[in-house]
Amino acid sequence: MDFSYLDDWTEDEAGGPVEEIGEGYRNIWVVAENSNRTLLPATLGVMGQARELADMIGVYVYAVLLGEDAEALGQDLLAYGADKVLIADEPGLAEYRPGLYVQIVADLVDQYRPEILLMAASPLGNDLAPRLAQRLNTGLMSHCIKLELDMSERLLLGTFAVFGGEMYHTVACPQARPQMATLQPGYFRMPYPDTSPAGSVQTVDLDLGAVTGRLTWIDHAASVALPDVSLSKAKVVVSAGRGMGDADGFALVEQLAEALGGVVAGSRGAFDAGWIAEEQIVGVGGVFIAPDLYIACGVSGDIYHYFGAQDSKFVVAINPDEHAPIMKAANMALVGDARQIIPAILDALAN
Amino acid sequence: MKIIVPIKQILDPSGMTFRRDKERMFINREEYIVDPASKAAIEAALQLKGDDDTLIAISMGLPQADDALREALAMGCDEAFLLCDNAFENADITVTTSILVAAILKLGGADLIVTGHQSADTGSGQIGPRLAEALGYAQVTDVSAMSTEDGVLQATRRWGTAEAAYATVEAVLPAVVAVTPEAFPPRYAHGARIMSAYRDWDVPVWDMAYLGLDEAALAPLLAFRREGFPPPLEVGERFHGDPADVAQEAVMALKLQKLIG
Repeated sequence: MDFSYLDDWTEDEAGGPVEEIGEGYRNIWVVAENSNRTLLPATLGVMGQARELADMIGVYVYAVLLGEDAEALGQDLLAYGADKVLIADEPGLAEYRPGLYVQIVADLVDQYRPEILLMAASPLGNDLAPRLAQRLNTGLMSHCIKLELDMSERLLLGTFAVFGGEMYHTVACPQARPQMATLQPGYFRMPYPDTSPAGSVQTVDLDLGAVTGRLTWIDHAASVALPDVSLSKAKVVVSAGRGMGDADGFALVEQLAEALGGVVAGSRGAFDAGWIAEEQIVGVGGVFIAPDLYIACGVSGDIYHYFGAQDSKFVVAINPDEHAPIMKAANMALVGDARQIIPAILDALAN
Repeated sequence: MKIIVPIKQILDPSGMTFRRDKERMFINREEYIVDPASKAAIEAALQLKGDDDTLIAISMGLPQADDALREALAMGCDEAFLLCDNAFENADITVTTSILVAAILKLGGADLIVTGHQSADTGSGQIGPRLAEALGYAQVTDVSAMSTEDGVLQATRRWGTAEAAYATVEAVLPAVVAVTPEAFPPRYAHGARIMSAYRDWDVPVWDMAYLGLDEAALAPLLAFRREGFPPPLEVGERFHGDPADVAQEAVMALKLQKLIG
C-alpha cells in the first residue's frame, strides 16, 4: 500500500519530520502537600486520581514531597498509591517558598520527564502550580473538577468551572510536557490505603545554597475562629440565609444543626449580617460541600451558593417563597417561615 | 515606587443567561465591563500608592478595552496602555503572560505588579504566579491586605491550613501580588473623572511588532475541547401549610430515607 499520504500529516513546512514532543515523557507525578506532618486530604484525592490514570495507561505514579521531617510520610504516600516517592527533606523547606519549591520540582521534572504532573488546587497548589508551569514552559489546567484521558492521543483532558460555575470548559495540552493540572479539593475521592504497599522511597540530594527565597512567613492566625468539623467533610450541613432575619433567627439554625449533629454554614448574606465566619460561606468563592443532608434555611439560593452545595445527596430548603431558586432545586421544599418551621422540626425530632 | 496593574475587560456576566436544560449560553446584552477582580487590583494599588508612586494600568484586549483603561485612569491611575493586535485573538494564559511581560519590560519593569486573584469569566487564577516567574519577581497570592516599607512587601494572605485561615508574609520587592477580589471593594469613578480620562489622557496602543513578539510567543499551549453544563436541577417534594404539620411530614420523610436518625 502507498502510505505516502501520511507524510502530509507528519511533515512540517520544511518537509522534515515533526518533532514528537511527547516522546520520552512518561509516568504520572503528584506533588504532595503536608501540614503538621500529615498529608493533606486534598493530596490524597489527587493520589487516587493519579493511580486511576496510571492504571489506564500502564505507567507509574511518582509522589514528590518537599518539607522538613517529611521522610516518614513516604510510606503513607506508597500506601495511597505511589509506586515511587521522591522526598526533599531539609529544614529550609519547612515552610513554602515559591522560588525554592519551583527550583527543586523543576529540576526533578527535567531529570525524570513525567508526562503528567498533578497537584491539589489548595492555597499552596494555586500559588505553586502556575509558577512551575511557567518555568517548565507548559500548559496548566487549573481548578479541575474532573480529569479524563483521551486514550487515542494519550492526552489528559481537564474540566473546570467558568462563569461562576454556570458552565464547564474542557481543555487539553496537546504538545507541551508535562501536562499539568490542579485538582479542586472535594471533587476527587480519597483512596483506601494499602496496608502493605510495594514501592520505594528515595531522598533527593539538594544543594539549597544556590537558591535564595524572597518570601518569609511571619505569622499564622485565624482572623475568625474556624468551625470544629471541617465544613467540606461534614455529613450534615445546616445553613442560614438572610431570610433568618436576625441573630435570634440564626440561633434557631444553630439549634437545628446541633440536634442533627451537623455543621453550621451560611450564604454570603449570612456572612454580611455577621452571623457566620467567612470560612462558613457555602458557594463559589467559599466552601464546596458534599454532605449527605443539606438544609438551607431562609436561603434564596442564587447560583453561586447553589454551585457550592450541588453535590449534596439530599437538599431540604425552607423558605416562604416557593419560587426561590433553591426551592426549585431542592429535593424537599418546605414552604413557610423558617422561624416557625425550625422550632416545629425540633419538636418533631424530640418526640 | 512604580506599580503596574494588568487589567482585563470581560463581557458583563449579568448580560448572559445559562440554560442548563437547553445546554446553551445566551448573550442577551453584549456589554463590556472591567473584570471585578481587576477593579479590586486597581483599588488595592490605589490604597497602597503614595504621592511619589506611579500607577500604570495595562490591558491586553480588543480595541474597546480602551474603555476599561479610561475607567482605570478615572479611578486614579497615572498612565494606561492598551496591548492590542489581531494576532492576540487566540491567546491562552501562556500567550497572555508573554504579551504582558513584553509590555512590562517595555515599561522598564516595576517594583510591584498587582493583579486580581481570579477573573469572573473564564479566569484560571494563573496570571499572577506566571508573571512573577517570567519576570523573576517574588509572588504572594490571594492577598487581602498589604503594605510596603523599605523595599519589602508585607501581606496577609489566605492560607487555609488546619491551624489558621490566614498568614502574614513578607516578600522582597520586586513582587507580584494577586489580590482577593472581595477584600478590595473598588472605589467609584465619578462622571467628571471619567470624562477627563477620555479628554485629558492618551492611551497608546501597542501591537505585536512594537512589543517585539513573534509567532512562537503567540502560539497557545492549551487547546479548547468542549464546553458543558452542570446537570439540570431536579424539583422535589413540596410541603405547604401549618408549620407543625410541615415539620412532622418533613421529619417523617427524612427518617424514612434514613437521612436522620
